[in-house]
Amino acid sequence: MQRMIAVDKLARPEDHILLPAQRVRNARTEQGLAPSNAMPYEEDFLKSRMHGICAGEFQAMEAAGRTLYDFPDAPWEFQLDMARQVWDESRHAEIYLKLLEYVGSYYGEFPEGEVLWSCTQAEDPAARVAGINRGLEGLACDVFEQLIRLAQKMGDPIIERSVDYVLADEITHVRMGSQWMRKLTEGDPERFKKAQDFQNGIDELFNFGGGRTTVEQAGQIKQRVGDKEIEIDSGITIAREARLLAGFTEEEIDRLVKGFGKSSAY
Amino acid sequence: MPDLGERGNVMGPQPIGKVVEPPAAMLAAAGQLLAALLRGDFAFAEQMTTAQARADISEITKALKPRTYDKFELIGRGRVAHHYFLKARLTGVNVAPFTIQFRLGEDNDKWTVREVLNLTGRRSAWTK
Repeated sequence: MQRMIAVDKLARPEDHILLPAQRVRNARTEQGLAPSNAMPYEEDFLKSRMHGICAGEFQAMEAAGRTLYDFPDAPWEFQLDMARQVWDESRHAEIYLKLLEYVGSYYGEFPEGEVLWSCTQAEDPAARVAGINRGLEGLACDVFEQLIRLAQKMGDPIIERSVDYVLADEITHVRMGSQWMRKLTEGDPERFKKAQDFQNGIDELFNFGGGRTTVEQAGQIKQRVGDKEIEIDSGITIAREARLLAGFTEEEIDRLVKGFGKSSAY
Repeated sequence: MPDLGERGNVMGPQPIGKVVEPPAAMLAAAGQLLAALLRGDFAFAEQMTTAQARADISEITKALKPRTYDKFELIGRGRVAHHYFLKARLTGVNVAPFTIQFRLGEDNDKWTVREVLNLTGRRSAWTK
């Protein structure tokens, strides 16, 4: 049985554009934009960010389903959690499809990225949940928390509540990941370390050029949104409170804040 | 009774942003490029291509037999800010479809090809 299927094996409609991050970076830098994904101060920020998240929810749904399929010998409770996650992620994808419509976009307006799927490529279920549930879903906590604060400043309860609803699930997914990473590696410190290293690689990948910081330390810039001018974060922040709720330790969060180097996923 | 088939007539949240329509000039440029490939006017296709993508377009023109294909259709589109990635299929009689994906960007009111790939036989784009 083939595990770790390539990103272009994911079922997609023919009209769908799927790109590696480097291609998106090239297109952005050629237009005089920062190479990373659309940032809060950009014209297309809400559309582009919602689109990226929506694509991420689809891939998260596929990843959880793939984990369920790839490890038939894993404990029944593990399989149940993965099945539950597939269902959660499918609801999230539906929510973001509606949010895309709400912000004046549609699925397919922007290309889908490959980078998230690359973070699912682990042979061991412990590493798989460390990477997906702790690495990627931890990142989702950061991105969603920032989006909620942005919606609050915009005075937009639709985005605020929708994303808050999804964030609650992501927190649960991180907790599931932490639990299974520990349980599956019980009595096997080497396996635990490998899973941890896999997650560390993903955390390092998503450092966004080393520009991430805490909510409190984030620089603020003024941005016009509709008929309002609001102050927004100048970069992607790390959501300490949401991460603590998700079961990350203070030490882990501090390491994220201090430890990001120069590599970047986008 | 309002017509509930129209979103504007339905109670509840209404969109806060407008859909960005693809520029007509960009679609026209894409059509010109694809028409040039169909008729085998590779010089025209190269003229539309920036220096960075000349080698890419050369690969495409080498792979295409002139006048083998007689129709094209744009089958996919996705934008990165103001640049557009487009997926197109060339078809002809008794020949397998030829699929390409390319990126168009605008400079001085002119849309040019920034990158291009032969996507024939592949389900998706530039994989690592």
